[in-house]
Amino acid sequence: MSAAALPARGPLRAAWPWLAAACGAGLLGLLLDARLTRDLLDWLPYLASGFVMNVVISVLAMTLGTLGGVVLGAMELSAARLVRAPAVAYVQVFRNAPHLVLIFATTYIFPFEIVVAGNYLPFPDWLKAVLGLAIPAAAYVAEIARGAILSVPTTQWDAAKGIGLSRGQTLRWIILPQCLRRALPPWMNLAASITMSTALASLVGVHELLHAATDASTAVRRDDFTVAIYLTVLLAFFLFCYPISRLTRRLERRLATL
Amino acid sequence: MIDAALQRFIAGAAALGLHYDFLLSGGEVRSWLAGMAMTLLLVVLAIPLSLLAGTAFAAALTSGRPWLAGPVRAYVELTRNTPTLVQLMFAFFALNMLLSRALGGAAHNPFSPVFWVVAVTGLHVAAFHAEALRGGIEAVPAPLVEAAQATGFSGLEILRYVTLPLALRTALPALVNNLVNLVKLTTIGSAVAVNEVTYASIMIWTQRDNVLELMIVILLFFGLINLTVSRIGRAVERRLAVPGYGVGYGV
Repeated sequence: MSAAALPARGPLRAAWPWLAAACGAGLLGLLLDARLTRDLLDWLPYLASGFVMNVVISVLAMTLGTLGGVVLGAMELSAARLVRAPAVAYVQVFRNAPHLVLIFATTYIFPFEIVVAGNYLPFPDWLKAVLGLAIPAAAYVAEIARGAILSVPTTQWDAAKGIGLSRGQTLRWIILPQCLRRALPPWMNLAASITMSTALASLVGVHELLHAATDASTAVRRDDFTVAIYLTVLLAFFLFCYPISRLTRRLERRLATL
Repeated sequence: MIDAALQRFIAGAAALGLHYDFLLSGGEVRSWLAGMAMTLLLVVLAIPLSLLAGTAFAAALTSGRPWLAGPVRAYVELTRNTPTLVQLMFAFFALNMLLSRALGGAAHNPFSPVFWVVAVTGLHVAAFHAEALRGGIEAVPAPLVEAAQATGFSGLEILRYVTLPLALRTALPALVNNLVNLVKLTTIGSAVAVNEVTYASIMIWTQRDNVLELMIVILLFFGLINLTVSRIGRAVERRLAVPGYGVGYGV
């Protein structure tokens, strides 16, 4: 997380010929091998349906995690020990917990259906995976929110009061814009990281991209197909996460010059 | 003595609604402890690998030679933007399979699942180390490097004696953070049937249905490892602290 927060000014351009060469070689290989191309194309819709699940899990987990994390972050800054302590404990425990362990925990501890007012509602595994990832996401968001709030000097409140703004106006027009700008890059890093963690849901049987790839590989049972299908999975995640990471770095750089 | 304490703990936990009676079954306890030992082994092997490879990658990235920096940069971007679990699956089910074929059958393949877990997690985290160290190397003031050049240091000597020691100090907090991540990443070993603590726990709870009880211990276990890693990191930081560099606690 924090390593990713460093702005990259390295020889990023130098990487492009190599990435392009790797993609080009892969495409050429596909063109030369018609059978592999056909099999891959046959399985592509199935893989795509899996990847939709990754995106859904990631979006829901980040939504829940952000809501919970902002509350926890505010609690961490509270003057009352009774409010602060549980939030600090939560962040400590769940930042150190492996995501896979939390996904296992939510999958096996929660029931497969819940009773709401006499109605049995199904509680599918993918929803449990959402919770399993929302738990650590909230812990990370809490730290991001806390840092963002602390980064605005308290004297700005006084200054805003001095020019006649109410507390609500100060929050809306002075404090929050700065908080959001500081919190956005690490939040986007987290979103990319949580998206990558959605692949772990395959281990509890959720039908997502990696699970779909394993299905395909066991169905076709051919070496070249196995290699190609896992490369496709890597490529799908890369194409999703790399733009986020580039955008994050650009935002970080702009923030650094402010 | 220990037995009596164990009995008391189990009775106390049962009063809270937690069932730890599997602790009395020798076989399960042994396989659980073996799982913890395997997790520790993975951590102990992958940490040095990640640090060595991370340093090498950082050196390549800052070498100023496009043919060296380019491929490493491509690797760093690829590994940072793809899930470690997918990398492990690719390494184990694709690369390992091709290796087995090339060597004439799985029986001749010396690479075990443990090898692949250590290699994948270690090299994955190395990419993050490399970024942190590169930032540190680039932050070393240019006059210092020029002074070293004027003294007659070669490029590698400058890296070894001037830029890397200073970069290490700036990057240490980030490195420790990456190592905490590495400890958590070792759990993906359970995907390729490496008997680490998560895998060993799954074996127990499928028999006993005591997920919550095991989960509490696993979280404590990882909390303890990560506490140790950050403590060691902080001690190293304090030891290496040079006034004016990094955010050392002793400064």
